[in-house]
Amino acid sequence: MIRLQNVCFNYDRDRTLTDISFHINKGEFAAIIGANGAGKSTLCRLLNGLLKPSSGSVEINGLDTGHTKSSVLARQIGFLFQNPDRQICRNTVAEEILFGLELLYKDREFIAERLEKVLSMFGFSAEDNPFNLSRGERQRLALASLIAVEPEILILDEPTTGLDYKECIEIMEIVREMNKKGTTVIMVCHDMEVVLDYAERVLVLSGGKLIADGETRSVFCMNDVLEQASLIPPQMASLAGRLGSGFEDVFTVEEMTELILEKSNEKRRVEV
Amino acid sequence: MIKISNLTFRYKDGRKNALDNINLSINKGDFLGITGTSGAGKTSLTYAINGVIPHHYNGDYYGSVRIEGEDTFDTSPSALSLKIGSVFQDIDTQLVSSVVEDEILYGLENFSVPAVEIEQRISSALEAVGISSLRYRSIESLSGGQKQKVALAAILALRPKILLLDEPTSELDPESSVQFYRILRELNENHGITIIVVEQKIMLLSEFAKNILVMDTGKIVINGSVREVIDRSSLLEEIGINCPRVTSLSNRLKEEGVYTGSVCINVEEAEKMVRSIIDD
Repeated sequence: MIRLQNVCFNYDRDRTLTDISFHINKGEFAAIIGANGAGKSTLCRLLNGLLKPSSGSVEINGLDTGHTKSSVLARQIGFLFQNPDRQICRNTVAEEILFGLELLYKDREFIAERLEKVLSMFGFSAEDNPFNLSRGERQRLALASLIAVEPEILILDEPTTGLDYKECIEIMEIVREMNKKGTTVIMVCHDMEVVLDYAERVLVLSGGKLIADGETRSVFCMNDVLEQASLIPPQMASLAGRLGSGFEDVFTVEEMTELILEKSNEKRRVEV
Repeated sequence: MIKISNLTFRYKDGRKNALDNINLSINKGDFLGITGTSGAGKTSLTYAINGVIPHHYNGDYYGSVRIEGEDTFDTSPSALSLKIGSVFQDIDTQLVSSVVEDEILYGLENFSVPAVEIEQRISSALEAVGISSLRYRSIESLSGGQKQKVALAAILALRPKILLLDEPTSELDPESSVQFYRILRELNENHGITIIVVEQKIMLLSEFAKNILVMDTGKIVINGSVREVIDRSSLLEEIGINCPRVTSLSNRLKEEGVYTGSVCINVEEAEKMVRSIIDD
């Protein structure tokens, strides 16, 4: 579905991405992680055709982004910007959701149905002014506008930035639902707990290079990779690392609680 | 140093009070973290402290905010900015120059800092934040994290007594966030700067702040030391604030009856807790 081959990208003279190659299948939920300046947002913009590779190729469903109009790619890819205010451009919630729908579809009945469906799914009031909504609500509106056109691929650049915990969960659960229905999700995220909870695959960027690509839990066990990428593992993984032998592969509070109880019971049995 | 008494504020056309009967004292040298859900009033509280409310936002204003005895209602924001340096949430709205050095110079010239002092102020501010190497870089070419540091350096160069920051790490990666907070701690502990920071990531506050203030619907819900606040994790979760996962772990182990100590606020404490349960 998405194939990058030896992609390099330069902003002016600065090399931002070097020799990136990977393949993402339909229906995957992948996270791109790395320190500030690692090239994550640049990679996202290459995936949706906003940027063209300096060398190498990016293919989306067989279409080479270097030779495909952004408008054609936009039918397949929904892109959520980090800052919703760079995305929202209309004066009411309904107009904002209709913006993409009307660009891509002509059937008025179909458009009205989609609008109603999305308004009800997100609990928005059609006539609300987007700029009177909170940051979290504006982020949800930007996502709602993307979901309205039901793209095959969702690319999310820091979807939870500036959101409180409740809003973060709300957004991520919607994304998870979309993924369960078959939407391919690629998410840039700094919150390792969110990455652990939602992504099944992780790609790690460091200094513009792809230094790891694998199943989320496996990558969070690669201490040398995390260190190279200046990343801090999720808290339970850090704790498990400090506790050492017997605590491998523990990533959640539930798993940690279960293991501690098991070990505590063993200790009691020995004492008896 | 800062005394807020019975402060209530409703934005013009607002449907409810953004700040609702706030009473708060912040002492010199404090490192206060303000947290809460979206719309809780955190940013409004920072606006009330630096005088943006009531001077730039119209609305119904009751009560008082005093900075070193001066009522912000009667003091211009520019006069207040001599004491309080503010770093905004959306960093792109704060940076006005195209080159890092010019950004720092901008504030210094506006504050009429003598020319002989300027070079020293610029270099020490850049050094304090660890971005001396970015001095001649174009701001447009910087990452979000680097821009945050430039904004902080520009404020530090003005040598404020109080630093007021609104979600300064929202665009930073975890390691850069920790580094940023280390800089804040250094400024607080070694330079005596009072730090007031709005932050969603309670893990950072639990590690670096001295006190935490929790807001909900314009009101102060909890105000106390880090441990006093984290101890009330069930209330925090009810409000919608995500406690550190080590705190959730210690709560779970308490419920299971295998741990009776205080809640954990960081990984070091959690390790000790687990070892006390499982080691011989």
